[in-house]
Amino acid sequence: MNAQIPSLLSRLSTKSPWLYRINAGSCNGCDVELATTAIIPRYDVERLGCQYCGSPKHADIVLITGPLTVRVKDKVLRLYQEIPDPKVTVAVGVCPISGGVFRDSYAIAGPLDQYIPIDVNVPGCPPRPQAIIEGIAKAIAVWQTRI
Amino acid sequence: MSDGLILLFSVLVFPGGLFALALGLLIKGVDRRVAARLQRRVGPPLLQPVFDLIKLSRKETMIPAQSSAAIFRWAPLAGFSCMVLAAAMIPINGVYRPSPELGDLLTLFYLLAVPAVVLMLAGSASGSPFGAIGFSREMSIMLAYEGPVLLALLSVAIRVGVGEGHLISLSLTEIVQYQRVHGPFILDPWMWPAMLTFLCFFPANLGVLPFDIPEAETEVLEGPLLEYSGPSLGLFKMMSAVKCVVVLGLGITLFLPNGPDGVLGLLLFAVKCTVLAVLGVTVVRTGMGRMRIDQAFRFFLKWPLALGIASLAIMLARS
Ligand code: SF4
Repeated sequence: MNAQIPSLLSRLSTKSPWLYRINAGSCNGCDVELATTAIIPRYDVERLGCQYCGSPKHADIVLITGPLTVRVKDKVLRLYQEIPDPKVTVAVGVCPISGGVFRDSYAIAGPLDQYIPIDVNVPGCPPRPQAIIEGIAKAIAVWQTRI
Repeated sequence: MSDGLILLFSVLVFPGGLFALALGLLIKGVDRRVAARLQRRVGPPLLQPVFDLIKLSRKETMIPAQSSAAIFRWAPLAGFSCMVLAAAMIPINGVYRPSPELGDLLTLFYLLAVPAVVLMLAGSASGSPFGAIGFSREMSIMLAYEGPVLLALLSVAIRVGVGEGHLISLSLTEIVQYQRVHGPFILDPWMWPAMLTFLCFFPANLGVLPFDIPEAETEVLEGPLLEYSGPSLGLFKMMSAVKCVVVLGLGITLFLPNGPDGVLGLLLFAVKCTVLAVLGVTVVRTGMGRMRIDQAFRFFLKWPLALGIASLAIMLARS
């Protein structure tokens, strides 16, 4: 009985993942895809309880787009530290995985997983909204093991 | 002794505390769901605000290094407890009559200003520039709406006071009694200016579009709430849920308190709150964009103020 209550609470908690977007030097393609996923009625993520938040301190699931350029590296790492635990990271697009079309550029510090732990990768350039929603659903499953 | 216990019960359990919190969270859930439907989305489950609170209670609390930690930590608790106290002051026709020791209309009006003050404190104590911007915006919008609303409250108080044979009546119970005998004010065209003023006050006081300027997440990243995380953010969410019930309940008390006694009256109160929230908050917020702070300031000092003065003049002329 006593062990059941925390697990029930953590199950209920996973119904409320708040999303935070970090643009680590993306070409904006992935960001547009993220915006449509959230906002247009067709792919409404609010039915999973998700909600975009403006502050990193409110975030549960972090969506990072872009190849991590040298210029934003420190800022992204600092933002990542500002997010309270337990948190889950989702890398959206091929850019964070390999650098994508920017991979041999002098301006790139990535791949991203050398600096922060990535839980879910959503490949695609840009990924389809369905893929992003699937990525968020997988992130929620990972999150349940932590909260 | 037993009087004290009853008072404590009314503040902590019904209709303050637990009851107000549950009703407020339910109203917030209905609000989010209806808003989603109006935008042709599916929307979150009805209990979403409860899930949010459970989630927040399990997150880590971070206190920024550059903040004044004591104020930062205690501000949300102060705001929440004031709202719980205010919720115990709202009469429910045929069910609950607040004891006079809790205070009158003016006390309630001042308690209603506490959440805004707490947000200002929190914003300035958090040490973040966005919090400071939120602080200054919260202050200007509060200065703009307090005046007109006070005029609307005074018109109701004078109307009831004159009807009862003294100059002014600030007791909420008396306002409800008067409308029980003479019919609700919503049916009296002379009261409509005051009612319109009060309707403009809803979105501004509850901080939703088009007046969510202090917390605009696309401009100042939720302003005063920016640095809050975990349980203390949850306390702010609870404060705003209870405040929702207080403000809606005040509107119902002032203009349409009538209804049956007992359980039915309680249900009717909840239904009235929800309908008012949907019409006065959800529809407005899905149908409008955000105003700039100077536009909002000018708006309140134009229409609601004119209506407030007009309704006060009508009441004085008719008495
Ligand atoms: S994955 Fe493609 S669309 Fe996304 S940021 Fe990189 S280049 Fe742009």
